[in-house]
Amino acid sequence: MSRARLSLLLASVLALAVALWLAAALRLLPFADWPGLPLDPGAMSLRQILLGFGLMPRGVIALLAGAVLGLSGAILQAVLRNPVADPTTLGISSGAQLALVMATIMAPGLLEGGRWPVALAGAALAAGLVLAIGARRAFAPVTMVIAGMLVGMTASAVATALTLSQGEYLLSLVIWNGGALVQQDWSGVRALALVLAAGALATGLLARPLRVLSLGAEGARGLGLNVALVRLAAVAVAVVLAASVSAELGLIGFVGLAAPALARSLGARDMRQVLWLAPPIGALILSLCDGLVLSLAGRTGEMFPTGALTGLIGGPLLIWLLPRLRGSTPPGTEAAEGPAPRLARAAPLLAMLALVLVAGALLLVWIGRVPGGWAVLDRESFAAFLPMRLPRLVAAAAAGAALAVAGTLLQRLTANPLASPEVLGVSGGAALGFALTLFAASAPTALMQMGGTMAGGAVALALVATYVTRRDMPAERVLLAGIAVSALATAVLSAMMAVGDARSWAVLAWLSGSSAAVGPREAAVMAGLALAILGAALVLHRWLAALPLGPGVAQGLGLPLRRARLALIALAGVATGAATMLVGPLSFVGLMAPHLARRAGFARATDQLAGAALIGAILMLAADFGARMAGFPYELPLGLFASLIGAPWLLWLMTRTAR
Amino acid sequence: MPLPGRAATATAPRLAAIDWAMLETAIALGHMPLAACELIRYRADAVAPPIPDHVTDLGLRGAPNYELLQLTRPDLILSSPYYTRYEDRLRAIAPVLSLPFYLPGEPPLPHALDALEALAEAIGDPASGQAARARTEAELDVLTERLRPFADRPVCAVNLGDARHLRAFGHDSMFGNLLTRLGLQNAWSGATRFSFLAPVPIEELASLPEARLVIVGNIPPQAAHGLRRSVLWRALPPVAQGRVYRLGRINPFGGVPAGLRFAHLLADALQGGPTSIEAAG
Repeated sequence: MSRARLSLLLASVLALAVALWLAAALRLLPFADWPGLPLDPGAMSLRQILLGFGLMPRGVIALLAGAVLGLSGAILQAVLRNPVADPTTLGISSGAQLALVMATIMAPGLLEGGRWPVALAGAALAAGLVLAIGARRAFAPVTMVIAGMLVGMTASAVATALTLSQGEYLLSLVIWNGGALVQQDWSGVRALALVLAAGALATGLLARPLRVLSLGAEGARGLGLNVALVRLAAVAVAVVLAASVSAELGLIGFVGLAAPALARSLGARDMRQVLWLAPPIGALILSLCDGLVLSLAGRTGEMFPTGALTGLIGGPLLIWLLPRLRGSTPPGTEAAEGPAPRLARAAPLLAMLALVLVAGALLLVWIGRVPGGWAVLDRESFAAFLPMRLPRLVAAAAAGAALAVAGTLLQRLTANPLASPEVLGVSGGAALGFALTLFAASAPTALMQMGGTMAGGAVALALVATYVTRRDMPAERVLLAGIAVSALATAVLSAMMAVGDARSWAVLAWLSGSSAAVGPREAAVMAGLALAILGAALVLHRWLAALPLGPGVAQGLGLPLRRARLALIALAGVATGAATMLVGPLSFVGLMAPHLARRAGFARATDQLAGAALIGAILMLAADFGARMAGFPYELPLGLFASLIGAPWLLWLMTRTAR
Repeated sequence: MPLPGRAATATAPRLAAIDWAMLETAIALGHMPLAACELIRYRADAVAPPIPDHVTDLGLRGAPNYELLQLTRPDLILSSPYYTRYEDRLRAIAPVLSLPFYLPGEPPLPHALDALEALAEAIGDPASGQAARARTEAELDVLTERLRPFADRPVCAVNLGDARHLRAFGHDSMFGNLLTRLGLQNAWSGATRFSFLAPVPIEELASLPEARLVIVGNIPPQAAHGLRRSVLWRALPPVAQGRVYRLGRINPFGGVPAGLRFAHLLADALQGGPTSIEAAG
């Protein structure tokens, strides 16, 4: 696009954004009555104050925050050479969110002086984690995004559980999560203007080293560049930029992703142009979104947080961007753990695992906590409790097994050790289905909710499958498509939360997962499903053995590649959807179990599937026990408890040096 | 396995409350349940009526501990339509009485008063229900009388979320409904959603220049900090002209006792005179 046409386009978008703002401002106060400069609150009428200290700073802060986010995204994308990097996809915003939630609940005094230090600490911690994982794998784009999403999802899950534990009184958290741009003085504008200026200065200093770095780390090192230092400095700048928006306004997702992407598709050729163009484009995006929110508010009187609107564009944008994502994982860099041991005979170990599972289940049926201590059930209580305990134990074990099978399928299909049901998008879709059911019916029955959840999962699965059936789609893109669907689901969910009536709390509660409400019928269905899924996966073991060798080899072996992928994804999707109903969208069991099975020496596809299923079942039983006992009589969410076991293990696994 | 509270009189029904509004309704009838959900939060957030220590805590309302519920051997489980999704599980343990309090677009006070009688009926003590209703109406009449001098201006009841947002209570909330019942005018006549309006920008208060502003519950520290320096907050007519009142914590989704607590606190606060957000709380 030529420079003239580009300026024309940007100018017309700016005109539209300004017009929307002006319409809102003129609804408030006719132009003749506008306050003169400098603004003096003492001499102003209330409406003038609403304009001068409400709408005016709001219009300016939309531009500033958009520019800051655009710059942050552009820097991240430049330094990581990753077109889908941004504060949302790398988990930075969620890190800030978790830190703020924790501070609000545990040490509200910390926030007395403002949210900045807390948000910055959380964002830096999350970014540090994701970078530490990425550094082991040469910052491979797909791995970075998956790691970022996993870190982000975990942080959000913990934040959700904490919010939930506070009942309905932590209104400020819900508001902050929504990302509203409402202003009532100029302090936010001043702060973000300073941040933007400092960020621009830092970017100016970093532009040249970043361009050298874009030649590749090896080449840059050859030219005498301190690669690590440049990377660290650039990421630090991006994190500070993103965290300051988080602290000032809340979660505003995907502007950092959209701005550089649009800059490139509008014809920015090199990194320098992208760095220059992304901030103004980001400013225009957020300004336009906020203008739409304002005109919506003027029409219906309802305030919708602007962050929720930007989230809605994030999912589709990611889906559009993904096919353009070049440079898939360099061969070898994803092999996290070196050669795993290989058991010559798997049967004895499998039998032992099965024994542990059965023994554990029997033990858990018999013992439990009562007020005042632990107790082994006597005969009478046993008879009373069995109909309650057995179903949930069976259901938890079955869900664990189903997730483990899904994880094994995905990891073998994509040859990516980070593949897990969490990132397939099915969970996100299922969560959305659940929420929609809850909001559509005033008193939905359990059956309606189940149906809604299943339907949501199925739609998400169909989306991902459609995406995969396109030609030339490397298998790992499945994960990215899943992430995109998850992102969209998350955005819609957070918009619903921001509307914030009592039903939001039901959604929040479900999101963290609970096996408490499982009856004998549900448990039987779940167990049957898990067995069927495992059986189907075992039948397909030939495909699973060939797929990790790469598409070329697999096709050479006569594998119907497209059909195989579709079938495996469908199988993993059904397994995930069923398990999600029980444990909520996040658990990490689907990620852990296949790894543990592999480490235990189950190398062949059939052995790994069976081993992972058993390990998954044991893990989920343990998580269920812990969730019920840790906070007795308060039952912790099952999915969350499993995540709290899984996440540290996962981080340990991912930050280990590749051998 | 003996549980505290098992030694209750033989005739009294053994009640277990999942829903807080139902818990309060049972207390208003003089039948303290043996077990109820989330008592830690209830004691902190709803404050009154007090729950004795021997009442068993059943865990989260969203995920009650069914085994513990079974151990308390209730005759009747008190629930509400919020918890339909696991009502079948509850029915397997004991009969369930599920009464609606908060329905979209409907004032909740009549439902709460009906619940008194419905629950009293269900536990075979209909006299207590009629008595409780009569007592409530009488108390509200007395309070209406006390509040008569304040009928000159509309009242706006809000929760403060952060320095920029609040939650306003419309006619389908307990607080909004009570304002009308007490002979006051609810300033928040705007569209309301289910039970109470979610985050409203504080600037909306500018459209209620005449109102008395009643802040229910705590103000988060960072919100107090932000409000102190906010030009807009200080310029709002109720703030600038000193018509801000503060009430303690009240359960916004409660039953009749929570409603009465609101009414009493409101009468005390209005008669006690305006305060400012700087006041500790």
